Amino acid sequence: MRNRYVMTKADRILIICVMMLSLAMIVLIVLFPSNASSAVVKVKNKEVLRINLAEDGQYEVDGTLGAVHIEVQDGAVRVDQENSPHHYCSKQGFVDSPNTPIVCLPNETVITIEGDQDGEDVQIQ
Amino acid sequence: MSTKKSVILAFLIALGIIFQLIESFFPVVMIVPGYKIGIANIVGLFALYAYGPKELTIVCMGRIFLAALLQGTLFSVPFVLSLTGGIFSLIAMVIGFRSNVFSIYGVSVLGACFHNIGQVIAITILYQQFFMQLFLPILLALSIVAGLCIALLSTQILKRMKGRFV
Repeated sequence: MRNRYVMTKADRILIICVMMLSLAMIVLIVLFPSNASSAVVKVKNKEVLRINLAEDGQYEVDGTLGAVHIEVQDGAVRVDQENSPHHYCSKQGFVDSPNTPIVCLPNETVITIEGDQDGEDVQIQ
Repeated sequence: MSTKKSVILAFLIALGIIFQLIESFFPVVMIVPGYKIGIANIVGLFALYAYGPKELTIVCMGRIFLAALLQGTLFSVPFVLSLTGGIFSLIAMVIGFRSNVFSIYGVSVLGACFHNIGQVIAITILYQQFFMQLFLPILLALSIVAGLCIALLSTQILKRMKGRFV
């Protein structure tokens, strides 16, 4: 029987294909950025707050597990304080790209930056 | 199914649950939210290569259901994400195994990639949001590394276990 524990040609082709696929997607995402102007805060998929990124300030919305503090500084937005098991969204720090959302799944809160030119976005299927 | 085999499969499920629980305590450095290496897939690969696809299904599904029961997330959103990823990776791994062109490395990478693809699809459907797809390229690139590491570990375990009780 063929040795199943030695890497075959098909393995290498598969790995290279997956690498190409992910590189192509990254290039697509990087090539089509859009101008950031406002940040949209959604809780449970409902828009609760629209923040102008040109002005610095601090905001607060009610997430599932308590208040989520949002801070805007120099055209970037971050989650300042929130209540969740791992604090992924506050560890993420400042975000200024429309392609990088801040996601806080335990609080069901999503902050996305919307572009000026009616949200030119990338579609990956 | 002999008693010996069912006992070994039960041990594998228990080991998988422990891997999954311990892994959830130590999140890997955050590049993408929620990214994990998937050490629990070692038991899946072990079952696949020591026995076959049927045993892989038993171990994989048993692990997902029992781990969700222990974590208290049974039939909630994290469970659905885990289940969708599990089913996708299960199907991909069985097809890769049966196609007879991939080694354990290819099967493991296939499983890891399709786990991520399944989860992104589940998130897109559940939350009706498309932002998670932007993480997919990074997740796919990382899943190659994760898949290769898991395959390497599983190979070592399988080699050492051969002839002992499998």
